[in-house]
Amino acid sequence: MNLEKVIFGFFVLLAATLNFGFFLGDIGDPSVHNVYELFAAVVVNLIATVLKFGDRTQIGAVQLATSLVASLQLIAAAVVWTYATNVASDALSHEMTASVVSLSGGAVFANIVSVVLLVVETVSFQRR
Amino acid sequence: MGNPLLIFWYRIFGEEEENGPRSYAGAQPLPSIPSGQTSAGILLVLRRMRIPLVVIIVIFAVSVLGLSLIPGEDAQGDPRRMGIFESFYFMSYTATTIGFGEIPHTFTAAQRMWVTFAIFLSVIGWAYAIGSMLALLQDRAFRRALARRHFVRKVGHLGEPFLLLVGYGNAAKRLARALDDMGRRFAVVDYDENRVASVDLDSYRADTPALLADARDTAKLAMAGLGYPNCEGVIALTGDDETNLDVTMTAALLRPDVPVIARTFSREIAEKMRAFGAPEVVNPLDRFGDHLRILLRSPAEYQLMVWLTSSPGTPLPPRRAPLPRGRWVVCGYGRFGRELTDDLRAEGLEVTVVEGKREGRVGQFAGRIDADDLESADIQHAAAVVAATEDDMTNLWLVEEARRINGEALEVALQNRAANSPLFDAVGVDIALVSAEVVAHEVMARLANPVLMRFLPQVPRQGEEWASHMVERLVDRCGRGTPDLWRVRLTEEEAPALAPWLAEGELRLGDLLRSPRGRETPLGVVTLTLLRSGNRVIGPDDDYLLRRDDQLLIAGGPSARRALDVTLTDEPTASYVIDGRIVPSGWVGQLLSRKGPSRSREEV
Repeated sequence: MNLEKVIFGFFVLLAATLNFGFFLGDIGDPSVHNVYELFAAVVVNLIATVLKFGDRTQIGAVQLATSLVASLQLIAAAVVWTYATNVASDALSHEMTASVVSLSGGAVFANIVSVVLLVVETVSFQRR
Repeated sequence: MGNPLLIFWYRIFGEEEENGPRSYAGAQPLPSIPSGQTSAGILLVLRRMRIPLVVIIVIFAVSVLGLSLIPGEDAQGDPRRMGIFESFYFMSYTATTIGFGEIPHTFTAAQRMWVTFAIFLSVIGWAYAIGSMLALLQDRAFRRALARRHFVRKVGHLGEPFLLLVGYGNAAKRLARALDDMGRRFAVVDYDENRVASVDLDSYRADTPALLADARDTAKLAMAGLGYPNCEGVIALTGDDETNLDVTMTAALLRPDVPVIARTFSREIAEKMRAFGAPEVVNPLDRFGDHLRILLRSPAEYQLMVWLTSSPGTPLPPRRAPLPRGRWVVCGYGRFGRELTDDLRAEGLEVTVVEGKREGRVGQFAGRIDADDLESADIQHAAAVVAATEDDMTNLWLVEEARRINGEALEVALQNRAANSPLFDAVGVDIALVSAEVVAHEVMARLANPVLMRFLPQVPRQGEEWASHMVERLVDRCGRGTPDLWRVRLTEEEAPALAPWLAEGELRLGDLLRSPRGRETPLGVVTLTLLRSGNRVIGPDDDYLLRRDDQLLIAGGPSARRALDVTLTDEPTASYVIDGRIVPSGWVGQLLSRKGPSRSREEV
């Protein structure tokens, strides 16, 4: 068992599940999208990105790329949410919620690619 | 070729160019440089910063989350929680020690407890991250990776032909100085950190890349220059024979087109080197003897050869007095002593060898020479004493002792370490043989100009009188500094202006080498050699008739070189210089007066 693989797999999967949980539900209804779930998804995604820093392998580099995409999408979602709650006149309107959730939906796709890569790497790993 | 010395020169210098570097079947393309090497620095930073960054992210997340969950109150005392954004804002300016205060409302006691905890946590996190970063900057591996990256970029941007100098000892330093004076570019590889650092301190005119690496590593050698098409030669001058052999082999196998010059102290290694391609092998121990033999025959020849192989602008070295041809005493029978004794005997001299005692007394090194040994060598009646042990202190002592016994004898000493030269100067040795100096001259002779190697081996043939005359002519025409050497080919491409005269076959060398400013004054150049279809004429005189496709090796200053270039390429100038006729340079004027080169020699 490789501890590094366990930790990385944990964070990649956790990022995907948290993000998916936030994404789930009516896209424009703020009551079904918990902001703390978004917060957790951002943090876990950032950690998953940093964990792939300096990886020389090909698959590691692609994983770094997908994690970066997910992080950037989620940070964009967080910024939109901050703007909607703190700056805009009507707090968290239907449109604003929709754009936050759709941004996180993009991140979900990147997370899924990360998970697929993780599975591919695990399956192609020869030593048992 | 009955003259043993000539055989020597032939063996050493050989007939170059006829048998160029052997090319191996299917010569490889340029060895590629592993790209992982060059980006190692960034990868190392990223890898080392992984954990500190994760720690900071976690600390931030925990602090922000906690702050947003803890109940607070607004100015009216109504319960109000901070949002995630407000908490993030507060933590950002607190953790980075900017500290705007308690925004947006004064904190409750519970919030203050949490913030106290968060502040200490973030301080620890930042201290850890910055500490790791600083430790990384101090890290040797990291600095080496950065230096390597820097080196590769510098070599890649050289943009002109450069030499790869492997090893940066005393001989290489002398050589590098001379190359720099000649305006040649080079890259340095050495395994010693101090030597690599000294490349910057030696302040060459051109920016010189230096790499800290073991030259036996093929990838490093490829990175240092072998992998670049601009690399025009490899010079292996490390102190270690095996490394030099390794470099020679690597260069011959990977880049058969690149000439290699290697130093070695051993004959076996030299043989091994010659098995790969056609490297030029310099054995300083062997060369000392040859230098002494030339000096014995003709001091002027020796003077000329040393001068022409110095860096440009070196003043003419003084001519040594002729060496005595009596009995020589060689003290020390090591590698050097043996080579030297063979050379001197071949020259027909009587040589007495003083070999140290094989079984020394207690506390004495075997092979060490002491006063008793010198007594038995009969130094009183010797013509010359050579101190040839491999220990400088012993050599100095031998010189002093020999002088005490016989003040008349010539003193020759082998100087093993360049750092000891002040001591040898203080003792006042007649001839000090310095390995680094010999190597530098030998390599320069091979690098300065390919045609020079056609000329130098011929010098010992010409005799004392010719050599001293040549030195006088060179000093007279080109001044007291070592002249530039260059080759002129009288072909259609390189000397288009001379075509009519060359076709007639009546162009005198002296007429060609006149100044375009006023043809009464000869150019400040001397023709050292003329090559005509494989035959060579050494030091042709002014009446020599030139033909098409002749090659000339010419010595002179830079201004004379420019003047000669104009004569070779510009027809009106050539016409004036050779015939003294002033030809109109405009097209119409030429059309009106053109009747081929005039045969009538009008004096101007």
